[in-house]
Amino acid sequence: MSKKTKNKSVNVNNLDKNEKSKTTKDSSKFKIVFGVFAKIISYLFVIKALFTIYCIYLVYVSLTNVPDLPKVDVNVRWGVDNNTHDTRIRPYRVIFSDAMESEIRALFEDYRLMERKIKSFKNTAWTYGVHSDAFAQFFSHWIFKYKFRERVKFLNKYDHFLTNIQGLDIHFVRVKPKADKNVKVVPLLLLHGWPGSVREFYEAIPLLTTPRPDYDFVFEVIAPSLPGFVFSEAPTRPGLDTYEMAIIMRNLMRRLGYTQYYIQGGDFGHMIGSHIATIFPSEVLGFHTNFPVNTSKLSLLTWLLGGLLWPSYFGNGIEDRMYPLKDKMEFYLEETGYSHLQSTKPDTIGIVLTDSPVALGSYILDRFMIFTNHTNKFEDEGGIDKYYDFDKLLDNIMLYWVSGSITTSLRIYKETFAGSRLNNLAQVPTSVPTWALRLKYELFQHPDYMLRWKYTNLLGSTNLDYGGHFAAFERPKDFSDDVFKAVKAFRNFK
Amino acid sequence: MSRLLFIALPLLVLASIPLYLLVLKSPPPMPKLDLEEWWGPPELKQKQDTSIKPFEITFSETMVKELKERIKKRRPFAPPLEGVGFKYGFNSKQLDSWLKYWAEEYPFAERQKFLNQYPHFKTNIQGLNIHFMRITPKVPKDVEIVPLLLLHGWPGSVREFYEAIPHLTAVSKDRNFALEIIAPSLPGYGFSDAAVRPGLAAAEVAVIFKNLMARLGYKQYYVQGGDWGALIGSAMATFFPKEIIGFHSNMALTLSPAATFLEFVGALFPSLIVEPELANRLYPLSEKYSTLLEELGYMHIQATKPDTVGIGLTDSPAGLLAYILEKFSTWTNPDFRSKEDGGLSYRWTKDQLIDNLMLYWSTKSIVTSMRLYAESFSSRHFDLKLDEIQVQVPTWVLQAKYELAYQPPCILKLKYPKLVNASVIEDGGHFLSFELPEIFAKDVLKAIGEFRKLKNVKTEL
Repeated sequence: MSKKTKNKSVNVNNLDKNEKSKTTKDSSKFKIVFGVFAKIISYLFVIKALFTIYCIYLVYVSLTNVPDLPKVDVNVRWGVDNNTHDTRIRPYRVIFSDAMESEIRALFEDYRLMERKIKSFKNTAWTYGVHSDAFAQFFSHWIFKYKFRERVKFLNKYDHFLTNIQGLDIHFVRVKPKADKNVKVVPLLLLHGWPGSVREFYEAIPLLTTPRPDYDFVFEVIAPSLPGFVFSEAPTRPGLDTYEMAIIMRNLMRRLGYTQYYIQGGDFGHMIGSHIATIFPSEVLGFHTNFPVNTSKLSLLTWLLGGLLWPSYFGNGIEDRMYPLKDKMEFYLEETGYSHLQSTKPDTIGIVLTDSPVALGSYILDRFMIFTNHTNKFEDEGGIDKYYDFDKLLDNIMLYWVSGSITTSLRIYKETFAGSRLNNLAQVPTSVPTWALRLKYELFQHPDYMLRWKYTNLLGSTNLDYGGHFAAFERPKDFSDDVFKAVKAFRNFK
Repeated sequence: MSRLLFIALPLLVLASIPLYLLVLKSPPPMPKLDLEEWWGPPELKQKQDTSIKPFEITFSETMVKELKERIKKRRPFAPPLEGVGFKYGFNSKQLDSWLKYWAEEYPFAERQKFLNQYPHFKTNIQGLNIHFMRITPKVPKDVEIVPLLLLHGWPGSVREFYEAIPHLTAVSKDRNFALEIIAPSLPGYGFSDAAVRPGLAAAEVAVIFKNLMARLGYKQYYVQGGDWGALIGSAMATFFPKEIIGFHSNMALTLSPAATFLEFVGALFPSLIVEPELANRLYPLSEKYSTLLEELGYMHIQATKPDTVGIGLTDSPAGLLAYILEKFSTWTNPDFRSKEDGGLSYRWTKDQLIDNLMLYWSTKSIVTSMRLYAESFSSRHFDLKLDEIQVQVPTWVLQAKYELAYQPPCILKLKYPKLVNASVIEDGGHFLSFELPEIFAKDVLKAIGEFRKLKNVKTEL
């Protein structure tokens, strides 16, 4: 018995040992495998973390990287004839010919008598676009009250010129200041945008060219039409984006004898002025913008993140104009249809706007109203009776009409936004002294710190509690006051 | 152990997204529809005329004369940039030949007769006089007549179906049915009245057409649509599965979050989502989105400012022609953007395309047609989340090579769980019935044949 038991116990012991060794073997095997697996996962995790940090670093570098200034060819030819170099500055006059007038009146009549004109919904203000009732008022003024002969005389009150730059005839208005021997005359290049024109500056020009107390300088104003706009010739091949326009404008100033000058710009004028200040910093004495934005990716990201994280900190005093993010994005989505269309199919919509004066008139009127104050969208009249008299608005529209330039003007959108060089210079800072004028309802506004990433010598900014996108057109006095203030700061800055 | 959690937790979060989108998320409620919503002048509500009146398309002498004179008065157009074809939009060099043809050669009287070859009618639905064509084939005794509602889109019209109708309504010994076609003009398009107040979006148009078919005495019918017709037909199938017993679409798309998610999954693992030979219709996604960005400018402006862009399109025939024909070029084949003539003569004669233009010009309906975009892209309409409500009706899709967007069956089934078939063809673009009428008709008839088999199986059960 005991032997058996002994045997059993021995067996049991043996069994235990075997089992134990087996389980020990198994459990240790499992532990080893688990351990290796855990190690791999942890290494993977570390690798993943390192990789993420590296990616963040790359993104940071790309956002803050200062690219080299791209090589610019100041002699690129844009015209049909690449051989003649005509450097004459030829006087020019705006003409509203009898033929033009009878043609447009015939088209007016066709539309006026049209049976099925558009009837906008009642009580929707301008939320579907220009309301037919408001437009009818505007149209009626155009037919019955806009005096072509008077208006063209007005448009010719300043001297107009044409000169050929890089193969394109560039049109400009040049106004010399009233003479005063104690006052220095400084050149000021005024750059308009879309759908504006030199007409935007007409009320500001007398204020800019008249000496004023407290200032020892006064402006000689050069206000060109951008290539493809109004009386400036358009190129025949693609590629004339805002960089190329900057070169043309700079060459224009040189043609007129200016090697150093001040620049003022809004809308596309801001972009072009900004490029001139970046590419030719030694030639620009100062840059005043009423469309103060930094177009770099870093700025866009900061605006987005700032809106999500801490609007008042990132808004830095103008958060009410930059945020709330959701409202702003809805606004941009609602209002950028025209820009989307023009950046992709400018020639299609251009055909419509070339052939019909009411098309041109309503299309441009829509933008003037919304850009001046976006709340106009909710007023029955769209605000057309509040900010500009109809003659002013029609002068601008007529400049597009008589020159037949609406299609070529639209192409700036496609060249710039659909082109490959959209943001080449956005991250290249410029030390040219800069000043920002912010009107309340301007569409895009960036705070000073963000502007300084690009304009390292932003000397100051003015925030007004009123006014919109077309600063010179809507508020010529505030506009001129601020330009004087800015240039005084530029002159004192050394 | 904690290290595993580091991996497992984010993976779980990631995995829960598709789980939520594809499985757990409950569909939005069926929208409350007012089947008697009034869209016409309120004072006419008391005296609605519910008769069905025959209608004839007329190109009046005055209208034709004014059109010709207006074309003659056209202004010089800016020449296109060198070498851009149609990439900047309609190439203005083409305008002279098109406008000359329209003013001097387009045979207005002949075309009017052509357009009237099918019987036209009008009847008042919810305050709007809705125009439609109804073509009923003559059939032998043993052939069942089956109604098919054909829905066009923008910038098309009932004209798109003219060449397909003879094929669609043909009697054949291969099938025991023949189609009776009801092809209306969408409200605000062509000869159909437009709403006098905001709110008439795709969902509301679906209600109007449901009531139209009821007015015409149809209890059950099939629906076929492309462009807006596909969206409206889809809405009809969503809302009225009792009446609609089959839905054929040649522009099937669903834009729900789940669908977008699957598209992104397919960007990483295409074989999970799409057949390899069809992958290039959807991928790479970057190309798809950049193409959409390039082509949807018109949609953006029509969805926000239809009245602004509409004024010119009502005033200028050249403008209307360029604006609309640009779509007939690019949406037929995107490669046509490189052609100077936009490839417009590839599939159609000038008469065919101008017929369609005339339906917009003679009725001055371009603005009201564009308002459908503003109404349907409103937050009110988006909040209906129609893309997330499944269609419980047998569905068949026809997918042409150059249609603007493509989705494979696994994505379509999210919205159309009863997807019977997806016919993929290596030809054709957006205006399929207009481009390839025979192929289009054949596929529609095949679809209805299958729908009928399913219906019989159901009734047998």
